[in-house]
Amino acid sequence: MTSEQETGPRREAWNERLAEYEASRHMGAFRSSLRRMRYNKLLLIGVALAVVVLAAGILGPVISGVDHTLQSFRDTHLPPGSPGHLLGTDHLGRDVAVRLFIGIRVSLLVAAGVTALSLIMGLLLGMFGGYLGGWRDRTIRGVVDFVWGFPLILVAVLLAGGLGGGLFPVILAVGLVNTAAIARVVRGEVLALSEREFIEAARAGGLSTPRIMFKHLFPNILAPALVLASYYVAVAIIAEAALSFIGLGAQPPTPSLGGMVSDGRNFLQQNHWESTLPGLTIVLLVLAVSLIGDGLRDVFDPRLRHEAKGVENE
Amino acid sequence: MTKPWMGEEAAPEIAELTAGYRRKEISRRQFMKRAAAAGVGAAAAASILAACGSDDPAPTTTAGTQATTTAGTQATTTTAATTTTAMAGPTSGGTLREGYNRDVSKHDPLTTNWYDPAFFAIYEAILTNDPSGASVPQFASDYSVSADGLEYRFTIPDGKLSHSGGTINAEMVAEFYRSVQAYSFIAGLAAPVDTYEAEGNEVVMKMKNAWLGALGPHQTGYWRIININTWKELTLTADGELDAGSTYGTEVADGTGPFTHEEWVPGSHVLVRRWDDYPGSLVPFFENKGVAYLDAIRWSVISEGGQRATQLENGDIDTLINPQHQDIGRLENNPDLTVIRHPEWSGYHLAMNRDYEEYFGDRLTRQGLSHALDRVGMVEAILYGNGAPTYGPFPTTDRQYDPDVEAFNQFDVDLANRKLDEAGWTMGSGGIRERNGVPFEFRYAVEDETTQRVVAEAVAAQFSQVGVRANLDVIDRALHFAEISAPGRDSAEMSLFFWLWPIPLDVLTIFASSGTIPVPNFSHAVEPRIDDAIAAWQSSATEEEAQAASSAFQLAWAEELPYLPLMNQNATFVHHNRVRGWQPFVWNLYPYYNDTWIEA
Repeated sequence: MTSEQETGPRREAWNERLAEYEASRHMGAFRSSLRRMRYNKLLLIGVALAVVVLAAGILGPVISGVDHTLQSFRDTHLPPGSPGHLLGTDHLGRDVAVRLFIGIRVSLLVAAGVTALSLIMGLLLGMFGGYLGGWRDRTIRGVVDFVWGFPLILVAVLLAGGLGGGLFPVILAVGLVNTAAIARVVRGEVLALSEREFIEAARAGGLSTPRIMFKHLFPNILAPALVLASYYVAVAIIAEAALSFIGLGAQPPTPSLGGMVSDGRNFLQQNHWESTLPGLTIVLLVLAVSLIGDGLRDVFDPRLRHEAKGVENE
Repeated sequence: MTKPWMGEEAAPEIAELTAGYRRKEISRRQFMKRAAAAGVGAAAAASILAACGSDDPAPTTTAGTQATTTAGTQATTTTAATTTTAMAGPTSGGTLREGYNRDVSKHDPLTTNWYDPAFFAIYEAILTNDPSGASVPQFASDYSVSADGLEYRFTIPDGKLSHSGGTINAEMVAEFYRSVQAYSFIAGLAAPVDTYEAEGNEVVMKMKNAWLGALGPHQTGYWRIININTWKELTLTADGELDAGSTYGTEVADGTGPFTHEEWVPGSHVLVRRWDDYPGSLVPFFENKGVAYLDAIRWSVISEGGQRATQLENGDIDTLINPQHQDIGRLENNPDLTVIRHPEWSGYHLAMNRDYEEYFGDRLTRQGLSHALDRVGMVEAILYGNGAPTYGPFPTTDRQYDPDVEAFNQFDVDLANRKLDEAGWTMGSGGIRERNGVPFEFRYAVEDETTQRVVAEAVAAQFSQVGVRANLDVIDRALHFAEISAPGRDSAEMSLFFWLWPIPLDVLTIFASSGTIPVPNFSHAVEPRIDDAIAAWQSSATEEEAQAASSAFQLAWAEELPYLPLMNQNATFVHHNRVRGWQPFVWNLYPYYNDTWIEA
């Protein structure tokens, strides 16, 4: 059965999307993208999840008013739902909910730091390498491949050994590895764009190299870089959790989700929620960020929009 | 019999089952099946069987048995259920797989900073403690003390072989002890010893003064006798300096114990193998005087607390030293395991680097910090009651413990705040106290081990309640020791230290002596009262003098606080019931392995 033969709600929805697409052809690219987001259910679910988790991380500690370091040795291992402790208490009698909220903050802080670092560095390295070429490209590519070849944990251990424990080495380690990933992609995009007419025209017009790079190349690689960076937010969250799990992330008493999973595993047989709750929070956080990343890719990647054009041509 | 584990409805049925089991009308298997049908869980049913065990006439170990070992030091041995296998004689063979809660130290008594269970397999001490705490021969065949207490004579048997095949005579033993004096970081423990000389087949230890505690250090791991020629060859440079690259203790160890060094892999394991040429033991309480039964012993480092009990339950290891405290109850309910618990001469205390005078230079501040600590709560929450709070240096179970220390360091947050106020610390912005513009915030080093991490975290959080921020720095064990051993302000401001020693007074004196800065006086504390008490202890020739010196030492410690005392924990050893003859007791830190064998 062809699409013309379809009837009922499915067909109506399809027609509505087609109409939206037609309308989008007459809008600006950004507004068009925003409109397309409305139809991406996974993206909307991701955004909703992210809003909930963000709200918990930002507002949770403020609303609860409880100090996350406050311990009560007489109230250890209380189960979720205990009076005054929505999600129970841990092995030192600390409120699990408040520690989760702070843990979310830590994860988001690391994710933001890593993303900012890797995006800026990745864009710069990728652009310089891809556009300038020659020995500069070979050098940058060599450094990027070298960093990319190291396991994340090893880089983190080396940096933690040199800089001491805490969040900064984690941000630096994950940021460096992610930088390599972003730089590789950006370099590829720049290589392709460099052959395009508008860049040739800019060169022929006598524009300076920095101006070509930042005025003409940069806007064209920003979108794919942002989409890629959104993926690496999830990677950063998982990496921070993993590093905290092995004791290289946030140092106690600052709670981190990975650290809470690690602490709680010593009591799995007695009080599993001390591990499972932060574990579930990591899942939700990563799921939210991944869905948003997938959604953004669907919206911004022209190859994935081809399907809509295909419908139009039928 | 009370039955808190079963519902009221099931109780009569289970009572009938229990009676049937006791009358031997039903087997253990049938009991478990019928109990399950009555809605009783396997663990609960096993508990009921365990409770029935004491009435069981079978030749077995019994449930919840308590055996008093020595004066005032009660060990508890718990086996959850009866064992129906008839006891056969010892058999040779097999590798004992032992779980150990710490990382391993190199097998060199002279240069190590900790001694582990393998020292009890590879080496022999000149004397050792028997289960009653008395000194009995081990390397020496006999010993005597002069009437004035100034001379000890140890008889060294002829032809005493070491693992390398060399013979260790009296002169070599004396030279080994002189090397302890020269090279061991812990040599100050036997400061009253003047000289060690050989006379014929005797080692003569001459004292500067009579000292009741002279034998104590010589029975510990640091004084375990090695073939000093092998050690010198590998460890000393031509100038008589220690060679940092020595392989002694890591690749080679040359002792006289029933097992030989095979593998030493820090962070992973240690392996020793039976020494088939072992000439035999002189220790009176060993039943097996000859070659060991076991082919080998492998200690696995299990620094992650949660893994210890699980590995034992899964059968990955046969014996375990110090499971996590929260797992002990579960292990005690396991019918395949036996749990042995006894008081341990150990403690957690906080070193405060006095070279950071701005923080810890005054007593009021130290006392303020001390009153902020809820030791009883920590014992309950972290040790699950398997220990006791300490208000002075000693565990409460020590023979010389002076309860007067309990007048100090009690948990009282108001008093803590008052003392800190009085010391000039005012509450600054962000809830951190300040004095002379210096915020009360410092680095707090802790070894990366599960329990120590939790203790440190609990302490830091309690400090934060009185406006003091201790920033935890969790570091690897080897780095931790180096970190806290540095001189001056190069070592951490505060550090958590867990000490373990068979005679607390011996080791705690060197932790607090002004003569042992920076190591092992990690606090760099100079306290004249404590130095005086140490001098009195090291010249005490009678029990009365020793007790008086000990009390003075404890009270000075509790008041002056060279370290903040926290708590001590009980030692816990667990073995699978197939392991026989593995008998840790309170006077030695670790078990001997001469009598240990594995039932097929």
